[in-house]
Amino acid sequence: MASNTTEKGGGRRGISLETKMLLPALVLLAVLSLFPFVYIIFMSFNTVSLIGGISFEWTGMENWTRLFTDSVVLGSWARSAIYFIATVGIEMVLGVGIALLLNEIIAGRYAALSLILMPMFVAPVIVGLLGRFLTDSTYGLYAYFLNATGLYTQDILGTPGSALLAVILMDVWEWTPLITLIVLAGLSSVPVSVLEAANIDGANYWQRLRHMVWPSIAGVVIVALLIRSMDAIRYFDIIFVTTNGGPGNATKIIPIRLYETAFRFFDLGYAAAIGLGMLAFSIIVANLFMRILKNRGLAK
Amino acid sequence: MRHGTVTKVLLYAALALVLLWTVVPLVWMVLSSFKSPNDLLATTPSLFFTPTLEHYGALFQSGLWGYVQNSLLAAGISTIIAVTLGCLAGYGLSRAHFRGKDHVAFWIISTRMAPIAAVILPLFILFRYAGLLDSTLGLIIAYLTFNLPFAIWIMNAFFADLPPSLEEAAMVEGATRFEAFWRIALPLTAPGIVTTAILCLVFSWNDYAFAVTFAGPDSQTLPIAASQLNTQTGLNWGQLTAIGTIVVAPMILVGLAVRRYLVKGLTLGAVTGE
Repeated sequence: MASNTTEKGGGRRGISLETKMLLPALVLLAVLSLFPFVYIIFMSFNTVSLIGGISFEWTGMENWTRLFTDSVVLGSWARSAIYFIATVGIEMVLGVGIALLLNEIIAGRYAALSLILMPMFVAPVIVGLLGRFLTDSTYGLYAYFLNATGLYTQDILGTPGSALLAVILMDVWEWTPLITLIVLAGLSSVPVSVLEAANIDGANYWQRLRHMVWPSIAGVVIVALLIRSMDAIRYFDIIFVTTNGGPGNATKIIPIRLYETAFRFFDLGYAAAIGLGMLAFSIIVANLFMRILKNRGLAK
Repeated sequence: MRHGTVTKVLLYAALALVLLWTVVPLVWMVLSSFKSPNDLLATTPSLFFTPTLEHYGALFQSGLWGYVQNSLLAAGISTIIAVTLGCLAGYGLSRAHFRGKDHVAFWIISTRMAPIAAVILPLFILFRYAGLLDSTLGLIIAYLTFNLPFAIWIMNAFFADLPPSLEEAAMVEGATRFEAFWRIALPLTAPGIVTTAILCLVFSWNDYAFAVTFAGPDSQTLPIAASQLNTQTGLNWGQLTAIGTIVVAPMILVGLAVRRYLVKGLTLGAVTGE
């Protein structure tokens, strides 16, 4: 080695350059995340008022006991669970299905993939606004077809059941392509020669899918599921601009409830407690994600 | 696999359905943005109309350029900071050995996964103390909360794929540790850097939640301009579809440009792809 401070492991002779390169980002990230994190914990034990500057009044466990007894917020958790299971569930099934379909298509596969990926880059707020346009009871393209065919004649975003289904389908429209993309990458790792040998031996498509394709893409499918799960609890833009939780409480998932508690009712301490509940959920998912990365030998 | 004619027809029919589902909303948005108000508000949707640029004209007359500038500044500067620090830290993370590295890695990824609504709350109060509400600087900082951990992770994934022997060889030739990173490792991950930059740009350009909470008259971005068209005097679908096209088109183009590396980027390197 040319330099005497570049031995592997850094160790005894001070901090290695590699560790130093980490520092600026880590310091900034600490300011951006640890500080707010401690702050939100502090907020959750207070009644926070924004009137005339910001004032805190220590109320101990009050916000927390409320969190577990407030039937309105518990209802939002339940609605979140439905929304979460429906969006992620439909996206997984459709995403895997479309990936398998694309995998069978030879001519035009990449052109089709480009078209299929487009929704991922659309700003969620535009997805929401466009969704409102398409389902508008007077001018909406989709509302028109549903009405003309007699499939659904009510106001789509104005009726609780169809409003929830509509916002779920908007999320599905935007994020199914992500699952397709990830699974398609996994499918490219299935050895073609083995599949062809199985084909010659008389295995049909479903047998090959179950015994050869599925085992080799299962890991990738789980990664896709976790990535989508983390984001499903993060995002709320689509609902925010389409129904803002309505009609009634039909689409009031927990992030919308949190936002409303904080910035409409200015009950910031209580909102902090709700936020910490959400954070706990995402940390569990992040843990699962890291564990799978490790098992696959990807995180060193 | 090769298929018989019947299977082929079925496969392409299924693909056509998928493409219809994906593409119709976008095509309809772009078409509507060129329709005159009369065509737009016809109760029977029509594909045939005389195109007009009046909605785009009206948008730019009512000061759209200011929103474009705010969007470009906030998303652009946040991306530059995230990618610069992300390259350094991503390389550091992939090469360093120290105790507790796993915990540091977990902490980095967990900040990326924190729910947006829960992050906004403490930031709002802190920004209020610091006078950062209604400022582009505030938005840049807010976007770093998701762009920075993201950039560190993807760059880490790209650097982890480079064999360290390349840099070691350069150091044997007399390069310093930093030169080995700067002249050897960094250029080899150029596709990774471009992918990271583009995805950071897309995330912050598309942001609505942070901007709607933190931005004010002086710092509002394009997504805010779009949502405001929806609440002012009635619903101006012409201008709304026009601004939608302006927000969406550049992001689809840059997004598809890095398609090859998207899998690695969007899974934080957990799936290597082709």
